[in-house]
Amino acid sequence: MSGRVIVITSGKGGVGKTTTNANIGTALARAGKKVVMIDTDLGLRNLDLLLGLENRIVYTIVDVVEERCKLKQALVKDKKNPNLCLLAAAQTRDKTAVTEEQLKDICETLKKDFDFILVDCPAGIEQGFQNAVAGASEAIVVTTPEMSAVRDADRIIGLLEAKEEIKSYKLLLNRVRPNLIQSNDMMSVDDVVEILSAELIGIIPEDTGIITSTNKGEPIVNDEKSLAGKAYNNVARRIIGEDVPFLDLDEPKGVMAKVKKFFSGIMGKEK
Amino acid sequence: MDKGYIENGFIVDVSNASKTSEIIYELSRILDLPDAQSKKVCLKLGSVDLTPTELTSIKALVESMNSEIEFISTSSKSTIKSAEELEIKVSILENKVPLPEFNADQEKVNKELEKALDKIFGEEGSDIQTFAQDENLKNLKNDYSKEEIEEIANIKPETITPENQMETFDSSEFKASTKEVEQPEISQNLENELNDFNSELESANKIDGEEIEEIDFNLDDLRKSLRETEKLPTLYIQRTLRSGQSITSEGNIVIIGDVNPGSEVIAKGDITVWGVLGGIAHAGSAGNQYARIRALKMNAIQLRIADVFARRPDSINIPYIQKTDTFIPEEACVRRKQIIIHKMHES
Repeated sequence: MSGRVIVITSGKGGVGKTTTNANIGTALARAGKKVVMIDTDLGLRNLDLLLGLENRIVYTIVDVVEERCKLKQALVKDKKNPNLCLLAAAQTRDKTAVTEEQLKDICETLKKDFDFILVDCPAGIEQGFQNAVAGASEAIVVTTPEMSAVRDADRIIGLLEAKEEIKSYKLLLNRVRPNLIQSNDMMSVDDVVEILSAELIGIIPEDTGIITSTNKGEPIVNDEKSLAGKAYNNVARRIIGEDVPFLDLDEPKGVMAKVKKFFSGIMGKEK
Repeated sequence: MDKGYIENGFIVDVSNASKTSEIIYELSRILDLPDAQSKKVCLKLGSVDLTPTELTSIKALVESMNSEIEFISTSSKSTIKSAEELEIKVSILENKVPLPEFNADQEKVNKELEKALDKIFGEEGSDIQTFAQDENLKNLKNDYSKEEIEEIANIKPETITPENQMETFDSSEFKASTKEVEQPEISQNLENELNDFNSELESANKIDGEEIEEIDFNLDDLRKSLRETEKLPTLYIQRTLRSGQSITSEGNIVIIGDVNPGSEVIAKGDITVWGVLGGIAHAGSAGNQYARIRALKMNAIQLRIADVFARRPDSINIPYIQKTDTFIPEEACVRRKQIIIHKMHES
């Protein structure tokens, strides 16, 4: 088996790298793939919290690198899905504790046993980013429809294109709010794609359920009803190679929304 | 299911109750706790005679809390009959390897258990406070080492309640092991109805039973260890440890402040936290299994003593719950290769 190593990066912080990682990883594992997630955000780890695995971490990636344990011992199995593993970052160390070469080696070893290796990248373009990208051959660039995030994503794509190892990169647009786009208060999906001229792999709507799921330590893809969960599931299916159409986010839901749309239409005509 | 580990369940001991109404009262109080809901319940009933109707209402009570009765244990024949009618599994839970102290004064232990349960499940906050104050006074006494020895000797496995129970696992393989150190004996008439659950519980406990012979604690060793711990240097820290910070010491560590999640404290001796312990604490890191971890509020993600690990149950694994108004000092120590937590009160 030779797994695919995908790095999930963004440049800007707070756009949802870690959430994306946790959800895509869980979705892929639910689809029957063997998945391992590597948290490379040393000193500011969060992936374990999102997966609710914080209490199970005994060894971290730094322990593996410094040979205090075997790689297999450091892999934390998910509570629900045996196909899903986490290699946690050390909380008490910083980015210099791991080098690019060491991460490359870890990825190479894990490739033999797993279908997908998802690397969670820290924010920024310094050593942490260089480490995370080192072992990867594919990248997912997460961004939100905001100027600052798009600008940082552009910078990241430039850096990724300069790397020979990265064979392909895809764009994931997070926290999209269709109602703001409709009222021209937010950049539209097309705007972002045009600026970055990158292939889109998913559009995730803003969802308050994400906050609850983060606090619970339960990825939102496990919630069948949630729109964001569905969107993340679709991203996972596209990664596997299925052709899945993008969710139609513009459709107003519920009677109230339809009535509102109807009235706003009339008001618009009157003006 | 891992060996002998009552997955998603716990044992409720209402054997002190002498009337059905008392059982129902106790049970509804315990089941009302958020941690106790949607779980399997193993009910210890004692000698009360229950009619099928009464047992049905108990069953309905448990089920109304989204829980279910895994099995019951009782010494009353009429209750066994009633249970058979209702197709509830019956088994006799017995402590096959009790510490000598338990046998010597069973009545006293039962009283303590009752007291402990009262304190844990008591609704009046004032109760808890007085007990905490008493404890403070007692700690001022000089001959605390002797008191502590008695205190440890009097701990009974049942005093571990769902609230402070930790899921323990092996340091080498991280496999969940037994939660309760109890030896089930299946009653004769139900022998053929042995299900997976009971047999697994039994086999796991057998393994435990072998180990207990060697590792059961020794009072002389404990005394020696206490003396040695006293001689160790103590690191005294008067601030809150934040995420990512790590403190290691060759001796004991005393922290006046909180230990936030994401931080770790590692000591060769004891660890005492005058605040909320929310991170990782490793006492006796050089292998002293008599080392202890104390905190005003025990909310640790992981506890490690010598080579024994315990992690916080997933049911309360919510990152933002850590500050409360009620502080009940608790202490963690190793008994039979498992970390147990008990309230810091005097017997």
